[in-house]
Amino acid sequence: MRTATVKALYKRELLDIFRDKKTVVMMVALPILLYPALIIAMVLIINAVTASQAEKEYTVYMDLDQEADTAIRGFAALDEKDEDALDYKLQFLSMDQVTEKLAENDTENEQAKDGEEEADPLKRALTDKVLNAYVTGNKENGYEIHYLSAKTDSNIAKNALKQAFDLYEEDLREETVKAAGLEVKAILEPIDVSLQDISSKEESVGSQIGSLLPFFIITSVLMGALYPSIDVTAGEKERGTLETLLTLPITNLEMLLSKFFAVATISCISAFLNIFSMGGAMLFLVSGAIASAEDLNVSLDYKVFLPGIGFTLIVMLFFAMLVTAVCMCTCIFAKSFKEANNYATPVMLVFMFGGYATLLPNLELTAKSAVLPIVNVALMIKSLFGFSADYGLFAMVLASNMAYSLLAILVLSRLYNSEAVLFSEGFTSVRLFAKRSEMKKGQMPGGGDVVIVMTSTILLMLYLGTFAVAKLGFYGVAVQQAMILLVPVLYAWYIKADAKKLFSLRMPHPLSWIGALLMVVGAFVLAMFLGAILAPLFPESAQNVNDLSEFLSTAGKIPTVLVIALMPAAGEELLFRGFFMGTLREKAKPVTVIALTAIFFAAYHMSLLRFFTVGVIGLSFTVAAYKSRSIFLSMLMHFCNNLTAVITSWYPDKTEKLLDLDPKVLESPLTLFALLSAALGAVVVGYLLVRPAEEKQAAEPVA
Amino acid sequence: MIKAENLTKQFERTVLSEENPAKKKKKSKKETFYAVDHVSFEVKDGEIVGLLGPNGAGKTTLLRMLGSLMGPTEGQVTITDKEGNVITDPVEQKRNIGYLSGNTKLYHRLSVREMLSTLAEIYGIEKAETEKRIREISEVLDMDAFLDNRIERLSTGQTQRASIARTLIHQPEIYIFDEPTLGLDILSADAIVSFMKTRKEAGKTVLYSTHYLEEAQFLCDRILMIEKGRIVCEGSPAEIMERTKTENLREAFHVIMKHEDRKEEAEANKSGEESEE
Repeated sequence: MRTATVKALYKRELLDIFRDKKTVVMMVALPILLYPALIIAMVLIINAVTASQAEKEYTVYMDLDQEADTAIRGFAALDEKDEDALDYKLQFLSMDQVTEKLAENDTENEQAKDGEEEADPLKRALTDKVLNAYVTGNKENGYEIHYLSAKTDSNIAKNALKQAFDLYEEDLREETVKAAGLEVKAILEPIDVSLQDISSKEESVGSQIGSLLPFFIITSVLMGALYPSIDVTAGEKERGTLETLLTLPITNLEMLLSKFFAVATISCISAFLNIFSMGGAMLFLVSGAIASAEDLNVSLDYKVFLPGIGFTLIVMLFFAMLVTAVCMCTCIFAKSFKEANNYATPVMLVFMFGGYATLLPNLELTAKSAVLPIVNVALMIKSLFGFSADYGLFAMVLASNMAYSLLAILVLSRLYNSEAVLFSEGFTSVRLFAKRSEMKKGQMPGGGDVVIVMTSTILLMLYLGTFAVAKLGFYGVAVQQAMILLVPVLYAWYIKADAKKLFSLRMPHPLSWIGALLMVVGAFVLAMFLGAILAPLFPESAQNVNDLSEFLSTAGKIPTVLVIALMPAAGEELLFRGFFMGTLREKAKPVTVIALTAIFFAAYHMSLLRFFTVGVIGLSFTVAAYKSRSIFLSMLMHFCNNLTAVITSWYPDKTEKLLDLDPKVLESPLTLFALLSAALGAVVVGYLLVRPAEEKQAAEPVA
Repeated sequence: MIKAENLTKQFERTVLSEENPAKKKKKSKKETFYAVDHVSFEVKDGEIVGLLGPNGAGKTTLLRMLGSLMGPTEGQVTITDKEGNVITDPVEQKRNIGYLSGNTKLYHRLSVREMLSTLAEIYGIEKAETEKRIREISEVLDMDAFLDNRIERLSTGQTQRASIARTLIHQPEIYIFDEPTLGLDILSADAIVSFMKTRKEAGKTVLYSTHYLEEAQFLCDRILMIEKGRIVCEGSPAEIMERTKTENLREAFHVIMKHEDRKEEAEANKSGEESEE
């Protein structure tokens, strides 16, 4: 590679990009003018709305006992400076006033017709906005605040009334205590609890910045990279200059690197401009707030953020490379700007989704999350501003981003060597991008479709699935499994795939059922044996398996069987032995298809120990499904395997003797040999019993 | 001199076949075909060779392989320079080739001068030499008036001249033009034709494809007729007309293509009979 050539091409690319109006608008106009203007306008509008809400009087009606009526009116009449004053102003209407206003409304709108009038005038007053809320009841039967939760004003009136009732209740409580001759404070406030936030203002501010900033950075880098990426790939094809470039004495790598560095430069500049302009806008707003609230003692030591800002810029630089490579990899397949925009949309969604990682509960930067693309950048920036950065993990984040970038560049260099891609023969391995009306019924997905389905399923599982489990616990697992099932099925439906062929939906031969059961029993024993050997090597993974057992014990038996045994048997099989294997078997040799399916299935379980044990069991599922051409066999095997795990978690003591491999067993060669031989024998006999499902022959046309 | 030896290019294409007439379901399958089928020829210094053939005959693929824009499935391209060095490396070959086609567009956002300077930098030409060459090319092609204008603002004729300038900046020995006069007005087309003649006079090698048979008859020293990726006729315009007993190249072209059609039909019938047996 000649650096002088790359430099010359890089200069040409930059000059070309900078003269593109679309890029300049996206890079300069948006970040410098529009974003700050939008932020400032939004804050000003919110302030104005809040101020007008504070000034406004909310109309209410009360039908209460005299004592409560007086008390509530009393609290509403308090001066703003009184500590018991309500947050919002209330205007009390009498029944006559309500009726009068309703009548006025009816006359104006001429809508009141016989039989259509609301039986309760107060309810009608609420819907007609004559009243924002009303209260009924008495001390004996209790009070009711009536309001419309869908209306902002009604909610505010409700809150003000609730606040007044809380104060009234407090007064009543104090009076009762006093009347009993007791000391109010000793009874109602026997102890004092106060909150002492020992984190500094800088730490609090940093934590808030750290939650929001990653999303802005990721979006900015992405927006900065996207348009130039389209311009230098699909745009170049559309303008017909790519062929001109190919006439020059340059290697594909030189061409690719010059484009890559040019886009990465633009992406970084754009991200810097975005961040500084948004930061400036924020600073303007904060300084305005400080100036208007003189009594507030707001002073921040901005210097403490400098290391965080510096390291964030470094992370951003590495991340920009990854984003650039991914964007270019995607856009190179397009023949035009418009087509590239379509391809870029899912990429944008994935990246922006990753930007939200900082808002997910319990997701911290660890050795594992440090290698998760996009998420690691978001979490790193969060920890930098939260003053909790681990610089070992920082290095891991940089290294993983660099590794992913290199991988993406490698893919890109392969694509730039592909004449089919360069001479615009299109992205035939992805059926999704064609118009649905032009899709052929009964087509099979391409390699690109497999990548999209697998990536989107895993990303959905990582983000939405993790969120669902955190929120819903056990039932979150059901949500995860539903996603795994729906993604391949919906995708296949959308591209009008031949579902029977793709998912191997064929009824197996009766003997195959027996064969499959023998195979899963044998594979299960082999996997347990392997697990017993490997468990000491991966203690963390073994602990995770135990944690899972505890997690399962929290749900009922039928839901557990449904969610842990049945749903994965359907969903995971449709994804792996269905979509993944069904697509691959059209394109690769049996050994490759079976090995890849088993490896991906094992890797999907995201545990080092389970990679091997699940790998063995998954291999048996794959072989059975491949040989029989029926997914129902692997579904049965998967169900049996998971059901065994579920039963084990219910009766650990009883099953321990039956299933758990005692280390002593491993020490006795004879027992060990017998056990392994039996397991292997079961697998082999099972394999021999499995036979291909019969294809129903179409009736021969009558001549 | 440029030489093609056994040059072959295979592509994959998707074809629809009637799978089940009862259900009227169509199945698509992929098949490979020869876009260029074992072609060998050479074009000498000071010679203009025209490549003629109907659409889809393989002209563009053949020229792309000769210009090293595309790699062959089989065979090779060799270039022999003035010093007698045989060049086989595709990147080095490009230094000796000026390639122009309807698909080689210019960078619209750059001026003509900026484009030529950038290209010269990529070719490794010194700055002073670049300026000198730009001056010379501008004078020859009468580009002084628009040399510093952005290409997007040029007229079609001016753009065409800028395209020619692009192929001249590195002073190549071989010129490959793919339908260079297609869609141009008479003046622009004539400018290209006279440019090719000046290249020939300067002892350069010119290979070009065209659909304008009168232009080829008048301009070319030799003609290669290509159909379905194979060379079906080769010779000077006069030789071809004599062989086909026609009065001009257009008539000769029709005679040759009809002959090819009949040959193909006969082959198809023969293979049909064999399969029935």
